[in-house]
Amino acid sequence: MPIDFSRSDQGDVSNLRIAGTLDVNTASELAAIIDKLVEAKRPRIVVDLSGLDLIDSSGVAALVALYKRTRAHGGQVSVTGARDQPLAIFKLLRMDKVFTI
Amino acid sequence: MATGSVIRLTSPCTLRHRGLAVRMVAEACRLARGDGSSPDDQSLTYDLRDPFDAELVSAFAEIYNNIVLHAYRRRDGETIEIAIHVSPGAMTVEIRDNGSTFDLSSVPEPDLDSLPEGGMGLHIARAMLDEVVYEPGPPNLWRLTKRHQAATTAS
Repeated sequence: MPIDFSRSDQGDVSNLRIAGTLDVNTASELAAIIDKLVEAKRPRIVVDLSGLDLIDSSGVAALVALYKRTRAHGGQVSVTGARDQPLAIFKLLRMDKVFTI
Repeated sequence: MATGSVIRLTSPCTLRHRGLAVRMVAEACRLARGDGSSPDDQSLTYDLRDPFDAELVSAFAEIYNNIVLHAYRRRDGETIEIAIHVSPGAMTVEIRDNGSTFDLSSVPEPDLDSLPEGGMGLHIARAMLDEVVYEPGPPNLWRLTKRHQAATTAS
């Protein structure tokens, strides 16, 4: 599975579910949905990575960009469900604490 | 996988062919660990639950990205050669390219506290492996080595 993602909103919370592979080939596919979340100044974004199998530094960069842009307008981003290889990458890059996984 | 055997792939070096190479390394990891379970051939997902597989695949994928994006600058028509060696207690992936060279020692460690959006690839590779060797060419040679417990115990 290359990448699969969806967004659902409940009140102030936007849930962004990303599954499959988030890497140099697929990160750009997230750009539009990330732009819309940032432009709408969503106050709270929860990124569900329970279905994510593989991430690389390009995928991490996409999530960091979402985090920084959301924080810039006072919003919050948290990540849930990271496991296996993606969790190992987040821990190595010390992003497990930033994303409050 | 028998000790001393070599798996080789010569492939166009593009991002389109990246998945092919990553899947080969992921499957070789499973074999090198002596995992005798049948892979789910119908599945298109990666099975990287074992830390050995996850760490070696993470490192390999970053080096592959670097070769496509920096050594070859996304040029078409370029080639990558990959050779996977399994020895008692270790797996080594050798990668050869004919792109531009660089000085590995000059690459700085990323400042993780600043939440960088780039420059993390080599840091990931170094941290996930026991040894990263780069010999400028042509051809340039990357040698990625990771030791594994299963073969150590068996030897």
